Amino acid sequence: MNVEIEYGPAQSWMRVGLKPGDAIQAEAGAMVRHSPGVEIDTRLNSGRRAGLFRKVLVFFTALLRKFFGGETMFINEFTAPSGGEVVLAPVMSGTIQQRTLREGERLFVQTGSYLASTGDIDTQLRWGGLRALFGGEGLILLECAGNGELFINSYGGITAVDVEGSYIVDTGHIVAFDGALDFKVRAIGGIKATLFSGEGLVCEFNGRGKVYVQSRNFKALVGWVSRYLW
Amino acid sequence: MQIDLLYKPSHTLARAVLQPGEGVRAESGAMVGMSPSLALSTDGPMAGGGFFKKLKRAVLSGETFFTNTFTATRAPGEVLLAPPLCGDMCVHDVRPGERLVIQGSNYVASPDTIDVDTQFQGFRRFFSGQSLFFLTAAGRGQVLLNGFGAIEALDLGEPYPDGRGRLLDTDELVLDTGHLVALTEGLDYEVTTVKAGLIASYFSGEGFVLRVRGRGRVYVQTRNREAFGRDVGSALPAKQQ
Repeated sequence: MNVEIEYGPAQSWMRVGLKPGDAIQAEAGAMVRHSPGVEIDTRLNSGRRAGLFRKVLVFFTALLRKFFGGETMFINEFTAPSGGEVVLAPVMSGTIQQRTLREGERLFVQTGSYLASTGDIDTQLRWGGLRALFGGEGLILLECAGNGELFINSYGGITAVDVEGSYIVDTGHIVAFDGALDFKVRAIGGIKATLFSGEGLVCEFNGRGKVYVQSRNFKALVGWVSRYLW
Repeated sequence: MQIDLLYKPSHTLARAVLQPGEGVRAESGAMVGMSPSLALSTDGPMAGGGFFKKLKRAVLSGETFFTNTFTATRAPGEVLLAPPLCGDMCVHDVRPGERLVIQGSNYVASPDTIDVDTQFQGFRRFFSGQSLFFLTAAGRGQVLLNGFGAIEALDLGEPYPDGRGRLLDTDELVLDTGHLVALTEGLDYEVTTVKAGLIASYFSGEGFVLRVRGRGRVYVQTRNREAFGRDVGSALPAKQQ
């Protein structure tokens, strides 16, 4: 498989050359164009080893999200039995970052930032646990684990921060982070800072690992646009 | 008319330099700046060129109702043009006898030597959520197009004469309708679902696609305006009454 990321940094997309036997899975709706020999298989993003209950749960959540907006939890798998090409693009302007995952590694990806993955990388939503829900800010995480290449996209540019010790990131600027990191969501400063600093919730990371930070914040864009609604 | 593209690729600005006697027609709202020597006329549906044709263009293609024409009379002059969203622009040289089919919101400007009309796309487009009509441009000169994101010039069948395209090794292409900017009319295209069934298409998130065959040039934009609008729109608070 040959992947080229073009038109970066702001308008990047990825062009994937598929050889027979290659497969890439991508977020539903990411396909821009493909050559005639490419086959598309749509499935629920419930994880490959999910049980029936989980599949049903994911299906209804997916339906709700399909109607009310947000990522759909459906993913498409592209294959090309006789070779072909598929081009994938994110929705927002920004970068695509490639990250290799090895057995035993886990990466938590903000759902809107997952674009595509190869190999046996399994993606599943992290349910329950306020830890994953980032209370109030509605950030839901996708846990990616397995062997393969992962492609994540951002709103704006991406900075990979090597955390050693502790690091604090605004929740709206988180793209992804290593599963090895400990994280907790909290308000920054006291109640006064929460109300008046303009900083919402932050995530405090502890340990060793990478945090991918984006230079723009989708919620800030929405907040700004909504002031002009009438 | 000479068109220069500045500040590519994310925030491209076009500078069109007009010689005496030349005029350029542009989307309303596209003008950023202009030489004082240029004459500006705003064409509504009542102006010359046929009432119904203009009405049709405005109502059916999603293009703006009024367009502005900038004309250099005695002295040369320039006009600066920009689209509303972030992204690149490109210039397509229309060849004699060729028609360029343009997604309405991707048209920016063309000289008055080019005739712009609308073309019905068939009822399937109604269900695809896309505009039922495309614009077509024919005549002599350059058409200025905008893309949401960067623009890829893609050649099917053979390299397009301007030599600026990327040649595909197949003569067929499946393209998401939301990523189409324009294509030359020598190409055959039909709107179809990406998968066999409607339900599978719906869940795949790809919905309707264009199946393009033949020889010619296709311009593709790297971002999808509708997808962006849906993502931002669904996150907005409810409208105040």
